[in-house]
Amino acid sequence: MTTLVIAEPSAEGVKVPTLTTLGAAAKLGGDVHVLVIGQGVGAVADATAQVAGVAKVLTADAAELAHGLAENVAPLVVGLVKAGGYSHVLAPSTTFGKNVAPRVAALLDVAQVSDITGVESPDTFTRPIYAGNAIATVQSSDPVKVATVRGTAFEAVAATGGSAAVEAASGAADAGLSRFVSQEVSKSERPELTSARVIVSGGRGMQSGDNFPLLEALADKLGAAVGASRAAVDAGFVPNDYQVGQTGKIVAPELYIAVGISGAIQHLAGMKDSKVIVAINKDEEAPIFQIADYGLVADLFKAVPELTAELGKAG
Amino acid sequence: MRNWAILVQTDVETQSLGVAKALKALAEKEQPGLVILGKQAIDDDANQTGQMLAALLGWAQGTFASKVVPAEGTVAVTREIDGGLETVDLKLPAVVTTDLRLNEPRYASLPNIMKAKKKPLETVDAASLGVDLTPRLKTLKVAEPPKRAGGVKVGSVQELVAKLKTEARVI
Repeated sequence: MTTLVIAEPSAEGVKVPTLTTLGAAAKLGGDVHVLVIGQGVGAVADATAQVAGVAKVLTADAAELAHGLAENVAPLVVGLVKAGGYSHVLAPSTTFGKNVAPRVAALLDVAQVSDITGVESPDTFTRPIYAGNAIATVQSSDPVKVATVRGTAFEAVAATGGSAAVEAASGAADAGLSRFVSQEVSKSERPELTSARVIVSGGRGMQSGDNFPLLEALADKLGAAVGASRAAVDAGFVPNDYQVGQTGKIVAPELYIAVGISGAIQHLAGMKDSKVIVAINKDEEAPIFQIADYGLVADLFKAVPELTAELGKAG
Repeated sequence: MRNWAILVQTDVETQSLGVAKALKALAEKEQPGLVILGKQAIDDDANQTGQMLAALLGWAQGTFASKVVPAEGTVAVTREIDGGLETVDLKLPAVVTTDLRLNEPRYASLPNIMKAKKKPLETVDAASLGVDLTPRLKTLKVAEPPKRAGGVKVGSVQELVAKLKTEARVI
């Protein structure tokens, strides 16, 4: 039994989603190989070879893989699975993994188990359904199990301690179906939402994107990432990559501070596994208070600057 | 231009791969230039069918689209990705799956619902498509996740900071 993990594309080092996906692979048992794709990924492959528990790193280094286009990545993975006799293919539940893995599964004529949160046995997994309100245990009858892995549900494996062999994988080709045009990536000094220890999120109660600097000041005091509810993103306060929730990012930080967020079920689906939840909302009936460990009924425009100042004082 | 609806009927439990196969059979018959699907179902959150359909047809896929601009023989799709936005150019025919910011949903008004009753609806028995819809995944159990107990209300920012420090120990 050997698992092939498709690494999250990276310009430098090993990404956290790759390490948590490897955490799920470790639960399966058996050998684990990691596929590193991209252009000029030699250093990333070497870093991946240091990750604990990795038996082999396969690198697919080609211009047509530079942007992780599913049309080019999927046939490559399928070729490796068929040649290498892999029993499992795992990818992180990132927008990259969610885009590529189902294409791989369909080409292999197997089902995919999306967003697994637990490994019961090599063919049986748990996954959330109904916006996390139920946990389904599903068994796959297919010869190859393809799954995407929810990062918050598994421990990241250690990034060091391994010494895997690095091999070049052949079979990369341009399918000629799609072409990368451009990318607009949000630049931020703050930690990434999906790996931040603390997150400060704003909702409709923020009233405008112009008020988000209030949250940014608080976030900087805490070394936190800034997130948002769907309502705030839909209203154009902040870009789409801020969205925490069922159809956005799933997070589980040590501390989640929800500001001006009412607590719609779709939002809770993305953050209710956080260790400690704080809610600041002027509506004491807001559903967010039902799951918050600490609730403060207050006007956020007063409470947030006060909180920032208080942390500065104490800190 | 022909406006009509097709209903594919089956009593089999539908799973993403089977649905993708049924849609592939329909696409081969109807020859659309573009197939648009939602990115994920609100119940099982699988987020697979569009990608699988594109794979089976050998077409390009523009998933999580927030902007779709068709051109001659191609379509430019702006995708919502983890870090922001990405634009790709896809050869047509192609599959697009939609994200939340693509457009303002057009809800059906009552007069339009009445009018829709008169539109042609073609019902297709899934078995007639000649595809294998057999479920590959078996749900063994469905359980309720551990419940989060609600906590306490604090009276002030000072109290909140104190509790986060001494009780929760997260700052």
